[in-house]
Amino acid sequence: MPELTARAAPPLAHHFVDMRQQTEAARLGMWLFLASEVLLFTGLFTAYSIYRYLYAGVFEEASRKGVELWAGTTNTFVLITSSLTVALAIHFARLGRGKLAAALLGVSLLLGCAFLGIKAIEYANHFHEGQLPGKFYTFAEVQGPGASMFFTLYFIMTGLHGLHVIAGMTVLAVMAVRAWREEFGPEHYAPIEIAGLYWHLVDLIWIFLYPLLYLI
Amino acid sequence: MPNGEHQTALEPHHGAGRYVAVWVALCALTVGTLLASRLSLGPPWHLLVALAIAAAKAGLVALFFMHLWDQPGVNRLVFATSLVFVALLIGLVLLDSATRFPLANPPNERTLRFEPPSFETHVQPGEREQGEPGAIGRPPARE
Amino acid sequence: MVHDAPASAGSAVYNTPNYLNAEIGVRSWLLTRDHKRIAIMYLVLTTSAFALGGIFAMLIRIELLTPGPTIMSALTYNRMFTLHGVIMIFLFMVPAIPGIFGNFFLPLMLGAQDVAFPRLNLLSVYLYLTGAVIAVWGMIHGGADTGWTFYAPYSTTTPTQVVPILLGAFVVGFSSIVTGINFIVTTHTMRGPGLTWNRMPLFVWSIYATSVIQVLATPVLGMVLLLVAIEHAFGFGIFDPARGGDPVLFQHLFWFYSHPAVYIMVLPAMAVISEVVCAFARKNMFGYKAVAYSSLGIAFVGFFTWGHHLFTSGQSTFDAGIFGVLSMFVGIFTAIKVFNWTATLYQGAIKFTAPFAYVCGFLFFLVFGGMTGVALATVSLDVHWQDTYFVVAHFHFIMVGGTIMAFLAAIHYWWPKMFGRMYSEGWALVAACLIILGFNATFIPQFLLGNMGMPRRYYSYPAQFWPLNVASTAGASLLAFGFLLVLTYLLISLRHGKVAGPNPWGSRGFEWNTPSPPSALNFPVPPVFTHGPHDYTTGAETPPEAPGEPEHA
Repeated sequence: MPELTARAAPPLAHHFVDMRQQTEAARLGMWLFLASEVLLFTGLFTAYSIYRYLYAGVFEEASRKGVELWAGTTNTFVLITSSLTVALAIHFARLGRGKLAAALLGVSLLLGCAFLGIKAIEYANHFHEGQLPGKFYTFAEVQGPGASMFFTLYFIMTGLHGLHVIAGMTVLAVMAVRAWREEFGPEHYAPIEIAGLYWHLVDLIWIFLYPLLYLI
Repeated sequence: MPNGEHQTALEPHHGAGRYVAVWVALCALTVGTLLASRLSLGPPWHLLVALAIAAAKAGLVALFFMHLWDQPGVNRLVFATSLVFVALLIGLVLLDSATRFPLANPPNERTLRFEPPSFETHVQPGEREQGEPGAIGRPPARE
Repeated sequence: MVHDAPASAGSAVYNTPNYLNAEIGVRSWLLTRDHKRIAIMYLVLTTSAFALGGIFAMLIRIELLTPGPTIMSALTYNRMFTLHGVIMIFLFMVPAIPGIFGNFFLPLMLGAQDVAFPRLNLLSVYLYLTGAVIAVWGMIHGGADTGWTFYAPYSTTTPTQVVPILLGAFVVGFSSIVTGINFIVTTHTMRGPGLTWNRMPLFVWSIYATSVIQVLATPVLGMVLLLVAIEHAFGFGIFDPARGGDPVLFQHLFWFYSHPAVYIMVLPAMAVISEVVCAFARKNMFGYKAVAYSSLGIAFVGFFTWGHHLFTSGQSTFDAGIFGVLSMFVGIFTAIKVFNWTATLYQGAIKFTAPFAYVCGFLFFLVFGGMTGVALATVSLDVHWQDTYFVVAHFHFIMVGGTIMAFLAAIHYWWPKMFGRMYSEGWALVAACLIILGFNATFIPQFLLGNMGMPRRYYSYPAQFWPLNVASTAGASLLAFGFLLVLTYLLISLRHGKVAGPNPWGSRGFEWNTPSPPSALNFPVPPVFTHGPHDYTTGAETPPEAPGEPEHA
C-alpha cells in the first residue's frame, strides 16, 4: 500500500521507550477505566438485585406491562450491530484503510442515534403513562410495594447507560474524523482501539440491562 | 523490556470474518433469550437462563470484539478482577437481604403475607396517595 | 540533555537545573505535566485542606470544652463535624500521600521519565480542585449536617446543602480513580530495565495496592453519592422505605467504598513507613516478600469487611457473623507488616531523626488502633461501642495516628529530595514530641469516654464527662501547636535551610540516586537496576551518594 509509506511517523510521547510500550500502557489504562465503569454500574445492579429479590412479583408485572419488549429487543440488535461496525472499523484502520474505517464508524454513529431515538420514544411513552420514578409514579395497572422502584431503577439505569452512549458517540465521532485523515495504521492504532473498547463496554452493559429490564 | 510479560509481536491480526461470525452468534443468542423468556419457565430458571445467555454474549464481546482472547494476561486479569468484585458486592448484599429478620426489610410481598388473607398484595388503595410517606405497603385501613 | 555530570556531582549547589527552575512562571506550573510539579501542587492543595479541616476540628473541641453549649448551636456543631469529616477524608487523607509522594517518587523509584499518562495526571489535580471548590461552595451556602457518612434517609431529607457536598465528593472521586489508573499502568509498563516485580521498592508495592482499591471501590461511592443527590433533589425513593427503598442498602454501598477507603488511607502510610524504616535502621527489609504481598492482601481482604459498620443497622445476623470473621483477616496482614518492621529495626544501626520519631509514633498508634479495631469487629462488643467516642478514638488512632504520622515522616524524609534543603532537625524533634504527646492526650480520653458510654456527634454532654473532655481539648491544642511548628520550620527551611545534597540520609532507596531537587527529566540516562531497594548488603563501603549509581545500559 503506497499510502502507508507516506504516513508520518506515529507520535511517541517523550516518556515512553517505544510504540509498543505506549500502546500497552494506553490499553491497560483503558481496561482499568472500564473496570471502574463496571463497578460504577455495579452499584445499580446491586440495588436492582435486592429490590428484585424483595419485590419479585411486582417487578415481573411491571416489566411485562410497563416496558416495550419490541423496543428493547430492537435496541439490542442495534447496539450489537454497532459493536460489529466498530470492531470492523478498528480492523480496517489497522490495515491503513482510514476512509473505510471512518465510514464504518459513521454507521456506528447512525446506529447510536437510532438507539437513542428508540429510547426517546420509550421515555415519551413512560411519561405519558405515568410510569415514573418515586413520587411521580401514577401508573394504575401495576401497583403495590416496589412498583415505583422498578421504574426508579429503570430510569436511573437506562439514563446512565444513555449518557454513556452519548459519551461513546462523541469519542467515536472524533475517531471517525481522525481515521478519515488517515492518522492510523499498523503501528499507531491505539486511540481508535481504546475508543472501540469503550463502545463495546456500553454494549456489554446493555446486554445485561436488556434481560433484567425487558425479559424477566 | 522491563519484564517478561511482553511478547515480541503485539498480537495476531485476524480477518474481518471472525467479527461477522461473532456478530451472527450474538444475534442468535439474542433471539434465543427472547424465545426463552416467552417459555415461562419456573421462577428461578427464567432468571438463570436469561443471565446465562447474557453472560455468554458478554463473553463473546469481551473475548473477540474487545480482543481479550489475543491480549496479554494483565488486561484479562483486570477485567476478571472487576467481575470478582461485582460478584462480591451483589452476593453479600443479597445474602444480607435474604437472611435478615423479615420485618427488618422494607415492606414487601413476603412480609405482607402476614396480613389477613382478604388483603390483596398487589392492589392497594393506599398506593394511590403516594405523597405521604408510608402509604405503600401499609395494609388498607379497615372500617 | 538538560543537565549532565556537574549537577549530580555531589557538590551540593542548589541552583543546578532542576524541576523547580526548569521553567519559570505561573503558567508553567498550571499547565505542567511533570509529575514532580503535580506532586507539589497536590502538596499545596491537600495541606490547605488539612488546615481547613484542622480548624473545624479545633472548633469542635472548643465546643466540647464545657458540657453545655459553648460557642455554637447544635446545628452549627453538626455542620462542623460534617465538614471536618468530609474535608479530612475526601480532600486530605485519600489524595494526600498518593497525590504528593506517590506522584513524586513512583516514577523516580521505577526509573521512569514520568507517569504513564502525564496529561491525565494534571487532569486529576484539576478534578480534585473542582470537587474541592464545589464542596467548599456548599459549605459557604450552609453546609451539610449529615456527618461525612451521609446516611440515608436523613441525608435525603435534610434541609441543609447536602447536594453540592455530595457532588464535590463525587468529582474528587474521579480524581482519585484517574490517579489510581495512572499508578497501576506506570507500575506495569514503565519499570526500568532490570526492575523486576520482586526488586520494586515496597513503597511502590503499597501504592500499587492502594491504586487497585481506588480504581475498584471509588466508582461505587460515586454511584451511591449520586443516588443520594438524586433522591434529595427529586424524591425518587431509592432509599426511602415509604416507596419500597431500603436505607440499609445505602450503608452497604457506602461502606463498600468507605471501608476499603480506610486502606486507601493506610496503605500509602505503610508504604512510607517501609521506606523510612530501612533508611534509618540501615538494614534490608526483613521479609521483603511478606511485606510486599501483604499489601495486596490488605487491599483484597479490605473489600470483604465492609459489613462490620452495619452490625447495629438491621443487617442480618448471618451477614454480621461473616463480616465479623472476615474483618479479623485484615489484622493478620497488618500484623505481618508490623512484625517485619520491628524485625527490621532489630540490630539495625538506628539513626533517631525526626522521620524515625514519626515511625515510632506510627507503630504505636497502628498497633493500638488496630487492636481496638479487632475488638470493634467483634459483633457483641460493637453493639456496646457503636456510635460512641470509642469508635471515634479508634479510627482517629488509625487515621491520624497512622496516616498523619506517615505523612509527617514522609515529608521530613523526602523534604531534602523535593526541595534540596534540610529542615531544622532540633525543631523537628520538638514538634514530633508535641504532636505525638498531643495526639495521645486528645484521643486516649476519648477511648475512656466512649467506654463510659458518651455518644458521638452531640454538642453537649452530662457533667460527669467533663474532665476527660477538657483533657482531650488540651491535647488537641498541643497537636495544633505541633502542626503549626512543623509548617513554620519547613517554610523557613525553603529559603534558609542548609543545602541538602543528593543524599543527606545516606539512604539506599532508588529515588536518592538523583540530584536534589531532581532534574526536570528525572534521569539523563535510564537507570539499570541490578538489585532490590535499600540493599545495605552489597557495596557497603560506598553508600550510593549521587553519581555513578545509574549504570548505563
